[in-house]
Amino acid sequence: MADEQTSRAVSRRDAEGALAYLTEMSPDLRGAAILGRDGEVLAGSGEPGRWRDDAAALFEIADRAGGEPVEQIHVGAEQGEVFALRHAGLAAVAVSERFALASLTFFDMRTMLRDLAGETSQPTFVGPEHAKGPQRRGGGG
Amino acid sequence: MPPKPHRVLLDRVSGYADEAAAYMRRRRAARRPFARLYYAGGRAEDHAADSAAGGELFVAAGRLIEVAGRGR
Repeated sequence: MADEQTSRAVSRRDAEGALAYLTEMSPDLRGAAILGRDGEVLAGSGEPGRWRDDAAALFEIADRAGGEPVEQIHVGAEQGEVFALRHAGLAAVAVSERFALASLTFFDMRTMLRDLAGETSQPTFVGPEHAKGPQRRGGGG
Repeated sequence: MPPKPHRVLLDRVSGYADEAAAYMRRRRAARRPFARLYYAGGRAEDHAADSAAGGELFVAAGRLIEVAGRGR
């Protein structure tokens, strides 16, 4: 991983809640996954197990391409866009429709991982706040 | 005779909307597939689709797009 690892154990339940919230507030998102420090899938849309190998392959290729561990990956293809991000030993991968707003998507993904790593005093993605529904973007992307 | 104040506001808003729509049209037309990597410290690298690393990145990204499916 490119950065320091979190000492906090991230539960699958927290990861699933955070992913559900991210999906709810990002209308362009087709699917996403959160991976733990060993690459295990903590939460994932669709068939969660399939994210593990493909996300690992993407990070491995990106690390090799630049000669150092990559922090963020953004690939825009004809079929969609892929966002991948590492933070605090965790990783998030998301696939969106084309022309999604990259800065917002990365911001949300980073905030989600920071919340899961316990780095924020008032987490947006983890905890009972989910019950309030989306607070940013107004659901309109 | 000067235009009514609300007409000025409406014209301004629709002007902004027209500009935004044109910007999005240009963006869609001009944007090509890309692979961009960001490293700690702010360094970023673009990899063309016809480069070795770029090709691999597109293949790996394509698999993830398959995993995600068509979405909601």
